[in-house]
Amino acid sequence: MKAIVSCKGVTKVFGKGELAVHALRGIDLDIMEGDFATLAGPSGSGKTTLLNMIGALDHPTEGEVTVDGQSLSGMSKGALSDLRLEKVGFIFQAYNLVPVLSARENVEFVLRLAKVPAAERRARADAALAEVGLQGMESRRPSAMSGGQQQRVAIARALVGRPRVVLADEPTANLDSKTTAELVDLMYRLNQESGITFLIGTHDPRVMDHSKRHIEMEDGQIISDTRS
Amino acid sequence: MEDFKLLAPLAWRNLWRNPRRTVITLIVVSVGLWSILAVASFITAWAQSSRDATLRLLIAQGQIHAEGYLDNPNINRLMDPPEGALLAALNQPDISNWVVRLELPAVVQSEYKTLPASVVGVVPEDERRISSVPDKLVQGRYLSGPEDDGAVIGLNLAKRLKTALGRRVILMITAEDGWLEERSFDVVGIYDADTAFEDTYIFTGQAAMQEMVGLENKIAQIAFEVPDDTKLDGVVARLQAAAPTLDTRQWRKLSLIMGAMDATMGGVIFVWMGVMMVMISIGVINTQLMAVFERIHEFGLLRALGLKPGHVLALVALESLLLIGLGVLIGMAMGAGTVWGLSDGIDLSAFGKALEAFKTGDVLYLQIQPMDYVIFPLAIWLLGVVVALWPAWRAAKISPVEAMRSAT
Repeated sequence: MKAIVSCKGVTKVFGKGELAVHALRGIDLDIMEGDFATLAGPSGSGKTTLLNMIGALDHPTEGEVTVDGQSLSGMSKGALSDLRLEKVGFIFQAYNLVPVLSARENVEFVLRLAKVPAAERRARADAALAEVGLQGMESRRPSAMSGGQQQRVAIARALVGRPRVVLADEPTANLDSKTTAELVDLMYRLNQESGITFLIGTHDPRVMDHSKRHIEMEDGQIISDTRS
Repeated sequence: MEDFKLLAPLAWRNLWRNPRRTVITLIVVSVGLWSILAVASFITAWAQSSRDATLRLLIAQGQIHAEGYLDNPNINRLMDPPEGALLAALNQPDISNWVVRLELPAVVQSEYKTLPASVVGVVPEDERRISSVPDKLVQGRYLSGPEDDGAVIGLNLAKRLKTALGRRVILMITAEDGWLEERSFDVVGIYDADTAFEDTYIFTGQAAMQEMVGLENKIAQIAFEVPDDTKLDGVVARLQAAAPTLDTRQWRKLSLIMGAMDATMGGVIFVWMGVMMVMISIGVINTQLMAVFERIHEFGLLRALGLKPGHVLALVALESLLLIGLGVLIGMAMGAGTVWGLSDGIDLSAFGKALEAFKTGDVLYLQIQPMDYVIFPLAIWLLGVVVALWPAWRAAKISPVEAMRSAT
């Protein structure tokens, strides 16, 4: 199997001198195509920082991150934006939908940025919303949706651009048990049926139960990496 | 274009996320522009009215004199009536009217007082076409013809002389032979203009005056009327060419106060515009900074999704463009509505005496100045967008990782 994400000696230090915080300490990690991997560890272990590095949202202090064969080192802000748009889908803890856009428009937004023609854009957005069980709710604004529904929109948005990898950071942290179970099933199904690669930062055992690969972090280091 | 289609609907909806703030900004922009347009219309109308009122009394749009007459008006610096090239130049269609006058310094005497004055010998029927004095009679009648040897005097002069309609005054003028000629005139009419004018000018028939001072067919001035002020310089140049030995001047050179007022009115409008623009700038910067700081998280999210820094800059700038544009349109409508609503004129007659010093007419007629509705709105629109670039630049600089951090 091909590695979609590759981290080699990735180190991240925030601050300088005595105030320096070593968030990541020489991470070596390959995420393979089709992985449904969870990244776990206590708060401050470096999960979010590592996801930020892989998602081209931040630069490592040392080391190299490669996404779908492209090294992120030395890329301009514009090129990083393009890479995020084309290859990475994000799901955040706090849903992070644009409040003035409807569900369909939120999902379409990524396709608009990718300059997908209008007709195809709409069809793909509606299909993505149907995929996450939001058929008939396309015109609703986020304020008229529940937390679970908003997170489904966020998943549809993350998937609609057909990214090489979906990075989810605590996607179920704000959801109740029932909704969490539904969303985990959904992400797992998408991984199984479409082969989409997921890397999920989580504390949630219900998410970890579904993972095919479990990566444990502590103090900026990977302490275990197991497949089930 | 594709980027515009992406950002424009988002920008428009973002404007209405905080309707109260948007409405306040719209009010600031529209009232600011309205005040500029209304003040510009009012000042322009006032300047126009003041100019027309003054020029219609005696000056007209220009005058021709013998060389040196304006520096030292006396009987030795008179000239012949126009003929030949000058007559032809005066009879061109861009000059709607012209008159000849004999004007000389004089002393006027009543039983009670002796005062300096300026006696103007006029051809009444010509004067009615170019001067407002015949319409300003408040007692008696205007002159009946060039031979009419009655005197039309100002209301304030009559008071100062303690004379009245039907009584006689003595006019003393240096005659052609150098002797002081004096003659009594019946006061046949009293006019009401501004006090300074009333104190100075006494009108009588031109032939009667010429006969008194022993001159036949001599005049002191030709006053001409040019309805289109933009053609005035050309007309003056033509008259100067037709009569190079005479002194031809337009009103700005004849009435230095009026000329200075004319030159400074535009400045007053631009100063007011400057004040309004500073206020609008403060309002726009404040609004846009608040709008940006409130949405830092969202800008980070958009960046994380693939929006480029230039897109974020364009989005915030577009919001300003739409917001200021809408305010400008409302301000233009308010400005035009105000002028239209007052198109019948603003009656200032109740303040007649107070405004006499400004020599304005009793009614101000506001007009839409088309260029005002291009220059001022465009200037405010551009200013609004330029001042919003700073908040937009701040938004564009936001790192997407900040959004991720705050989201987890």
